[in-house]
Amino acid sequence: MSIEVFSEWLYATSFSTGLRETTWAIPTIQSIHIFAISIIIGSALVTELRLAGMFAVDRAVPDVLRRYLPWMGRALAILLLTGLLLVVAEPGRTIGNTVFWIKMALVVGASVVTLKAREPLLRENIVVEGDELAFEGEDRAEASKLLAWFMVLVWCAIVFCGRFIAYT
Amino acid sequence: MINTILQQIYDLPVSAAIRENVNAFPVLESFHVLAIALVFGTILIVDLRLVGWASHRGSAQRLIAELLPYTWVAFVLAIISGTLMFISNAPAYANNTQFLLKLVAIAVAGLNMAVFHMTAFRKIAEWDESMPTPRAARTAGILSLILWVLVIFLGRWIGFTLEMVF
Repeated sequence: MSIEVFSEWLYATSFSTGLRETTWAIPTIQSIHIFAISIIIGSALVTELRLAGMFAVDRAVPDVLRRYLPWMGRALAILLLTGLLLVVAEPGRTIGNTVFWIKMALVVGASVVTLKAREPLLRENIVVEGDELAFEGEDRAEASKLLAWFMVLVWCAIVFCGRFIAYT
Repeated sequence: MINTILQQIYDLPVSAAIRENVNAFPVLESFHVLAIALVFGTILIVDLRLVGWASHRGSAQRLIAELLPYTWVAFVLAIISGTLMFISNAPAYANNTQFLLKLVAIAVAGLNMAVFHMTAFRKIAEWDESMPTPRAARTAGILSLILWVLVIFLGRWIGFTLEMVF
């Protein structure tokens, strides 16, 4: 089945039609989608800027991550669920849209980096070096400051792609 | 009178430029969404702390001091991008109920913040590190959360209800 045929089949399903015909459904789902991305943007800003050495440097990295990563996970679940509903409601707007697929690639990339390079930092042991709070992986974190800045940009790019889907 | 002013805003060269450039509006919208995400995302951390949710540090005062600059910069970005979208179609926005309600919600959120600063924040030294937080702080936090969520919903609703003038 080609992607166009799948898109047309999805569009014609009663669930998809029902979403489109319920006037408040799409604006509500989009609002919840923006609510979820706000939680991710706020959490990502705080954690990535901490890793970049720009924010709350007196707090140990694992302590900061511990507060925000669970929220990012929950918000991502809401984001994917509401996003899926929006695709189902208007498949023609997304499935054949390059910007949509760039956005999906960026979301997967950012999620993988968060899961593989941020989440393991939670298990680092915090050690006290004089007055400084440090943790055993601090050297590695130091080397990835550039990655932290890059991640801030990627999350911002995801917001831009999201808005541009409506125009491409 | 008001209609004349709105029409004059609509006729400004910058307003016409935004209407005529196909990329201008989506770019402004993207900055606006990014700005509100940063405003809400950072204020949420403070609001949850006021309600009694621990953040990455014990001191509420230091948390507010370190996050508020980010909130303000993002808020200014939201005002600038929002104003540019408004002038591109001033009469349409001025006649849109959701837009007017959104302005009211932002004003009430500002008022809520002012009240917090004049009450619980004045005595923050007394409750800085303690939980649960005082009632005035909890009330301010909950009200702020409700109002900003309302701002997000009303903002998105404008896109579905605005009757464009061309």
